[in-house]
Formats: sequence, C-alpha cells, structure tokens
Amino acid sequence: MSAVDLTQFHKTFFEESREGLDAMEAALLALDSGATDHELVHTIFRAAHSIKGGAATFGFADVAAFTHVAESLLEEVRSERRAVDAGLIEVLLCSVDCMRAMLERSSQGQPVADAESEALRVELVQLVSGEVAAPVVAAASMVAPVSGWNIAFTALPHLLQTGNDPLRLFRELQQLGRLEVVRAFITDSAPAQLAELDPSQCYLGWELRLHGAVARAEIDAVFDWLDGDCELAIAPLAEVAVAGPVAQAAGESLPVATAAPRPIRETAAASGEGSSIRVGIDKVDALINMMGELVITQSMLSDIGEKFELSQLGRLRDGLVQLERTTRELQESVMRIRMLPIGSVFNRFPRLVHDLERKLDKRVKLELHGEHTELDKTVLEKIGDPLVHLVRNAIDHGLESPAQRKAAGKSETGTLKLNAYHEGGNIVVQISDDGAGLNHAAIVAKAQQRGLIAAGQELSDAEVAELIFQPGFSTAAQATDLSGRGVGMDVVRRNVRDLGGSVGVRSVSGKGSTFTITLPLTLAIIDGLVTAVGSERYIVPLTSIVESLRLRADAVRRIAGGGEVFHFRDEYLPIMRLHRAFACNDAVTDIEHGIVVVIEEDGRRVGLLVDDLLGQQQAVVKSLEAHYQRVQGISGATILSDGSVALIVDVGGVVRLGQRSKAA
Amino acid sequence: MAKILAVDDSASMRGMVAFTLRGAGHEVTEAENGQLALDAARGGSFELVLADVNMPVMDGIAMVRELRAMDAYKGVPILMLTTESHTEKKMEGKAAGATGWLVKPFDPEQLLATVKRVLG
Amino acid sequence: MAGKRAARQQDTDEQPAKASAAASVGVDDAARVLLPADCRMAAQAALKAELLGALDAGAIVLDGGQVERVDTAALQLLVLFRRELDTRGGTLGWHGTSDALNEAAGLLGLAQLLNLPAAALA
Repeated sequence: MSAVDLTQFHKTFFEESREGLDAMEAALLALDSGATDHELVHTIFRAAHSIKGGAATFGFADVAAFTHVAESLLEEVRSERRAVDAGLIEVLLCSVDCMRAMLERSSQGQPVADAESEALRVELVQLVSGEVAAPVVAAASMVAPVSGWNIAFTALPHLLQTGNDPLRLFRELQQLGRLEVVRAFITDSAPAQLAELDPSQCYLGWELRLHGAVARAEIDAVFDWLDGDCELAIAPLAEVAVAGPVAQAAGESLPVATAAPRPIRETAAASGEGSSIRVGIDKVDALINMMGELVITQSMLSDIGEKFELSQLGRLRDGLVQLERTTRELQESVMRIRMLPIGSVFNRFPRLVHDLERKLDKRVKLELHGEHTELDKTVLEKIGDPLVHLVRNAIDHGLESPAQRKAAGKSETGTLKLNAYHEGGNIVVQISDDGAGLNHAAIVAKAQQRGLIAAGQELSDAEVAELIFQPGFSTAAQATDLSGRGVGMDVVRRNVRDLGGSVGVRSVSGKGSTFTITLPLTLAIIDGLVTAVGSERYIVPLTSIVESLRLRADAVRRIAGGGEVFHFRDEYLPIMRLHRAFACNDAVTDIEHGIVVVIEEDGRRVGLLVDDLLGQQQAVVKSLEAHYQRVQGISGATILSDGSVALIVDVGGVVRLGQRSKAA
Repeated sequence: MAKILAVDDSASMRGMVAFTLRGAGHEVTEAENGQLALDAARGGSFELVLADVNMPVMDGIAMVRELRAMDAYKGVPILMLTTESHTEKKMEGKAAGATGWLVKPFDPEQLLATVKRVLG
Repeated sequence: MAGKRAARQQDTDEQPAKASAAASVGVDDAARVLLPADCRMAAQAALKAELLGALDAGAIVLDGGQVERVDTAALQLLVLFRRELDTRGGTLGWHGTSDALNEAAGLLGLAQLLNLPAAALA
C-alpha cells in the first residue's frame, strides 16, 4: 500500500499548533477579564481539538493524550455543564503552557511527557466529571463462527440523502461472503404515483443472505454509518457448534479508533531547518506587479540600447527614472516581506500581566496599541526579551499596590500601555505606566552607594533617569521573584543597541514613567549621509543626525587632555575628528574648512568632523564581522554607486568614544 | 479517479489528506472552512467531500446542511473527519446529512480504505 | 482484496458500452427513452420528467446501453416507473443494457422488477 511519509507535515503541525495555543491563551485571558462571548469558548475548544487530532494523527501520543483530557474539560464548558471561574482558567492556562512545552519537546525529538505534564494531566482527569474513557475499541465480542447471516434491511426514506447508497453497502457485503438477494421490494410508504416520487427518497427493502464464516462485527461495520437511516435485523443462518479459539481478527473494520503509537522519528528535518516566514499574499502580489513593471522598463531600455541615437536621450532619461522608481519600489516590497506585525510580540503580554498581577498582588489594566505596526523579522525576534523586561519592571517597580494607589487618590487599578508606531524611518515602542514615576531620591542614594556618582553631586532629571541604565543598578527594596535575576536595565539597553536602536525614559513623579524604544525598520538597509574624509567615504545613518554645521575656529575650545568641545544648543559637545579616529590621510584638519555633523545616541551628542557632505544614499549594510573583523566605531560597510566601498559609522560606538574623550 | 473536496482548517491535516489522496490518483481541491468549501462546491462537481467538524467561519455540520440543500450534492458522499468519538456529534452530523465519518487519528491507509469504501 | 475491488470498479466504470442483446418487445412503435451515461441522483429530475412523458405511450423501450454510472436512486426510479406502467397496462422493454446497469440491478436484486433481459444476468 501507499507509504506516505507523515513527517513532512510535522513542521506545519507544530506551527499551527503554536498558533492555536496562542489563540487559546488569548481567549482564556479574555474570558478571565469578564468577557462571556460564546465564540471565545469555541475558539479555545477548537484549538485544543485540532491539536489533539493532529497530534494523534502524526504520532505524538503523549500530546494527544494530554490534549484529550483538556478537551474533555473544555467540552463540559462548551456544553455549559461547567461554569467558567478563575480556577478553571488558571488550570487551562497551565495546560496551555504544558502543551506548548510538550510540543516544543516533540519538535526536538525529546521525550514528551514529564512529571509536570503527567501531574497536570491527572489533575485535569480529576476535574472532568465522570470517567475519562480511554478510547475503547468497539467490543468485538461474539465472534462466533457461523455459516452465514440473514439480513433484513429496509431503507428509511431519507437514507439516500445521507450519501449512503445500498449499492455500495451490498458491494461491501459481497467482499465478506457470497451475497444472495432473497427478495427486493418496494415499501408501503412509496408514493403510488411516479409523479409524486422524490428521487432522492428511498422506498426499497431487501431480505439478504450472506453466506460464509463472517463475523457479526464485520457486518455491523458495513452498516455502521446507517444507524437511524434504516431498519436492520441481522440473525445467524445456523449456529455452528464449534467452540474453538476465537482468534480471528476483526478484519478491515472501519472506522478504526486506535492507531498503533508510532515512534517519534524526529530528525534534523524538524529542528534544524532554516526558519520560514509567512507572507501575506498581498505582499507577494505587490512583488509580482513590481517585477512586471521592471521587465517592461528593462525591455524598453534594451530597445533604446539596440539602436541608440542622440535624439532618444529624453526617452533614455525617462526610462532610467522609471527604472529607479521601480527598483526602489521593488526594494521596499522585498523588505516588506520580512516585516511582521509587532502584535505577535504584544500578544504574550496579556498572559504575563495576568501572572504578574497575581504574583505581586497588583491590579493592572493592559492597553495595547499599534499591534499592526510592522517591523523586520530579525528585530521582532530580538525585541521580545527587552520588552518583557520593561513590562515586568513597570509592574514590579512602576505601579503601586492598590492600597498605595488609593491613598494617592488614584484608581486602584493601574494602567500599563504598550504602543507601537512608525516615526520616520524608525519604529517607536513605548511602555508607559501611570505609577509612581522614578524615585529620584532612591536612585541617587543607590547610585552613590554603588559609587556611580559622587556624594552631593547635583543631577538633572534626565541624568538621574540615565542612572538606571547603568550596569548593576537596581533600586528594588528587596529582590522580588521578578527582579534580582541579574538582568538590569543595562542589559535592556545593550539588547536594544544591538538592534541598532536606542532606549530612554521620561518620568513624572507621582504620574508615571514612559520608556521609549526606538528601532530601525530593518537592519539590512539604512538611509545614510555620505561624507568624505580624505580619500575615503563614511556613511552616517540619517536617523542619528541632528544637524550639520560649519564652525569658526574660535567656537572650539580645547579642554584638558587634548579634547575639543564646541557650544551647541546650551551644551558643550565633544568634537570627534573622524580622520584621526580612523587614521585617514589627506583629510581636512582645519575645523573651519570641514563640516561638523552632530549625531545623537540615547540623548548624548557628539560632533563629527568630516571634510565634506556628498549626499544622501540608501546603503545595504554588509557585515564587517562576517567578511573581515569587528572594528570599533564601524557598524558595517556598503558599496557605493560607483562601486567603491564606504564604511558605516556606528553612532553608538562613536558617541561613547566621544563621551570618554570629553570626560578625560 | 475521483474529484474530492478536502475541508479542514488545520493545514497539516488538510495537507496530509490531500497528499495521500493525490498519491492515490485523485483530484483534490482544498478548502479551509465550510464557507470556502461551499464556494468550491458550487464551482465544481465533487464526487466526495471530506470535512472536519470544528472549523472557524462555518463548521462542518453547517456545511453539510448547506451542501445537502444543493441539488448537485443531494446524494454525494460526505465524510466527517473528526476526533469526536462520542455519539452526539456523530448524530448531529448524520442529522445534517453526513454519510459517515473517519475518526482521527487515522493514517493514510485507513483514509484510502474509507475513501475506496464510499466511492465503491 | 484491494486488487479484486479495483478490478470490479473497472468493470462498472470503464467498460459500459458493451451493450447486451436488445430485447425484442414491439420495438417499432414503442416510445423510446435513452438513459444518460451518468444516471445518478443529479440526473434524475430530468429522467423522471422524461419517463412521466412516456407513461402514456403504452409500450416503452428503455435504452440503457450508454449507462456508465448508476445508483440505487436511479434503479428505484425505474422500478417505480415499471410498477406504474404495469398498473396502466403498458409494457417495458429494453434496447441495450450496459454492464454497469446489469451489475447494479443484479446486485440489488432488482433485475426482475425491472424486466431486464434474463440473458444479461449472471
């Protein structure tokens, strides 16, 4: 027979199961917050149901067994035999976690059930009223060998409308033994006039004999689907007095409720494959459209090229403009393929907040905005952890306890807002709470204790806020379960920086704090300003440029240690001579003849001295690390339109270098 | 061989069913839910419909009811693919006009045997 | 077993046109009704209308030589047609019966009720 390799469907199964569990979790949390939508219950049930069916089909017996019990419990909820309460939701949320972990282990070919899952399964079994029956094979009892059977079979009128055809049944019976039609008749309920006959109604009956040593169960299996669609009487033709061992297998009985558990054959196929991405068909269509335009433009241009005359210069220019436009659109479309909505990250927060509320005894209303904002898949995958940390932090340290809030004249329930939106070439994600705001006194005291600042040092609000991003800084009065994990805000900042982004905080005492993460849309392409330094080209990411200006020599002050600073909007900024930092020859060294580009990272600014500005250009970032090695102050390289190589300035790194020279 | 409509919201199940049936030479059209299945059914003459019970938008039972109301599908076999082994679901499916059912889990051999059984 | 089943299926599905000898019941002046190749339920509203129109003719010949696909509903329609024809004193004859038609009628035990030519029966 066919040897269908089911492992090819495992990956899809795991993917859709993960999605199903996410949907289940979201629906459970919605139920928890008081929604009573019946559709929510259906969603939860459907997800469990699909996972169970798939798990059983694809040979993940442990997952199927666990999900089966969870489904039984859900069935009680669905049929309104069980009310939804907080306890039930808690158990079901745990079940979601458990199934997620089991699937994860399945996909890695590890043993699936563990003590934890087993304990939870037992708990579920106890919850389900009555007994959870293991799938029982229909009792294939009474397999007495007989010489044959009398079968009286009369169709009920609607039989044909179920798609069951006696012709098919008779063929099946014929497979079992010799079938003899003793009598075929028209039933009394048949209309007397042909005109009144509805051909989809059935008015026929039969008396049959099936000769041969056929088991009763085999006949039952043939009529299995016709329960309620016919009158049926089955009686043995004659008993045969042989009481031998009845070891006869029940033949090809269908449907079969049990499948032999198959060993898990997880190989690299499931785990080691490159990650895939789901792309909306509209994006693919846009791509194909663009491609079509590109082909048209290309053929037009090659047409001009075939027999070029000077008079065609205008057409050539038009064609090139069109080519440029199409190429840019194509590029945007291609980039968009990698873009996914941030909602997939936001989705985990309702659960996190739910758990934290319980753990910390706080009341939190979570608001999500801008879930549809899209960002690069790589960025998306890496932004989850920093966001989780910020959300934890906001609930743990930002929001007060209900009692404290009440005393402060606030609503007992705090509000935590997550918002994502596009701003220029960036994605901005904000996490804001209406809690107590940063505790300046505590932060300053802690910083002094840690030796981060000197005693008596005067600090602006912004400087105080910056302190919490210092390595090893934590103000929690006591190490709760959540903080004290050795992960501080400094790690958040480092993670965000690794993604080419920045993070900052604004806080109003008593009103709350807002953490703002700014991320590039993609890591692969940046909008850059091309600058000349000697014979070399450096690209400065456009998003980090504040202003470019010429300085008069007397605007520059030398400070101790050889550094240079200049006055810019109420502050003194260090000047970073790029030719010196990167050892370029033949560069402009006189500040009056060069240009200073002010760049900013995390609110800190530095002026870069370059020879000249050459223009803006999009740069496809090539990793230096991958092709050469990591270079301080350089984030990558790109190829310019004339084919030469330009280096891309790592703004964060340069600013840190500049700050150091200022401090020195 | 036969033109078969496979309806399941689970891509892995649908894929498995379609792959198996195509391997046996059948022409398979896939649909993600009952509503899409009805659209497909109107556009093509299928000789067999295999449908999951629990699906979003339109479930399998409502789909069977709608199909049976169409002249072209009055007598066409419709099998429910279901993990529901309890009788109420089967009866509900039957009352709607389902021909029979295939209980999950099933393997490709069982699927083919059942399809052969209904197609005769 | 699968092989046997497959072979049977081929018999019914793919070699329908081998019509057996025509019955010889007053072929000349009889009304003739051609049964379609696909005689299954979807075709029966039209077939029923045609049979109703032929009821008055008295002598009717069915041409079943083209029948490739047939179901119980089709045979039932013909059985009830025959019964009504009988009560009106009409006669039913056959001009050609395909293997598919013979096999189905034989299996359901309806060959006699349909007055199918005995020669065609196994």
